[in-house]
Amino acid sequence: MDQPITAEELVGEEWAEWYRMTPQERFLESMKLWDTYLALGGSLDPEPDTQSPFFDPDEWRASASHGRPGVRVLRRGGV
Amino acid sequence: MGGQACVFYGAAEFSRDLDLLVLADASSLNALRAAMASLDAETIAVPHLDGQFLQRGHAVHFRCRREDVKALRIDVMSKLRGSNTFVQLWSRRTTIEVEGIEIDMLSLPDLVVAKKTQRDKDWPMIRRLVEQAYFSLPRVPDENSLEFLFLELRTPELLIRLANQFPDAAQLYTLSRVPVARALEGNIEEVSAALSVEEAAERGIDRAYWKPLKLEIEQLRRSRVKHEDE
Repeated sequence: MDQPITAEELVGEEWAEWYRMTPQERFLESMKLWDTYLALGGSLDPEPDTQSPFFDPDEWRASASHGRPGVRVLRRGGV
Repeated sequence: MGGQACVFYGAAEFSRDLDLLVLADASSLNALRAAMASLDAETIAVPHLDGQFLQRGHAVHFRCRREDVKALRIDVMSKLRGSNTFVQLWSRRTTIEVEGIEIDMLSLPDLVVAKKTQRDKDWPMIRRLVEQAYFSLPRVPDENSLEFLFLELRTPELLIRLANQFPDAAQLYTLSRVPVARALEGNIEEVSAALSVEEAAERGIDRAYWKPLKLEIEQLRRSRVKHEDE
């Protein structure tokens, strides 16, 4: 019988760790990510989904981020 | 039924909208209206919230204005292409509790079907969701789990491995799914090619499904603009 394929071999350590979590653990980790995102000033307004059948370019509008006011860019690197 | 369900089942999506599937009857729509009002949510785009639009497969889009959820977009649907009726989806749902609140989600097989869209971003998600199911498989899997994997696995290496492990079960799916037949032959390039063909076909079916609905949306947009101009 050939050797089983491990998640690490197939998708790498990071994803394998994510797969090994219970659904509840993944949900909680995702909520932590949300907290960080919002703390950094992330907006809840989603990015335009141009491949969606619902996408209407006239409807989409960029909106300013509205995260916590204590976050600001002190130095920005070049592109 | 969207990003957070994907996270729960093993993929990772940082989705900033909330996708809800509702039964399009009067009682549910009244409850939805009350919920949207509490979030100070307005409908954006077309159509407006109407059971007839939802029953035909349209989505209704909201944007919240309440300060703690400001700009959050909520998409509401009642019918998903290729999926069973709401009642059937509801009977198979997964329920979780988060901070004392019960949340109902599509079952994993139903989520995978719902993700078979024309959008690029949904296909890696399906692959991750089913990979996670593969790696969670018990040593002696039941028939339902094997059926799900043989019908939905999109990782060539794993599909070949599964076909090697369970060749009799794999035989059952060779007629309904070409990648399974290729997996039994063991050629990874041919399995990959068959999966690509399968994906392209599903995307085409999704585009065809949405074509008349998009025309209807376009007409509603024009009608709204004309109404606003008058």
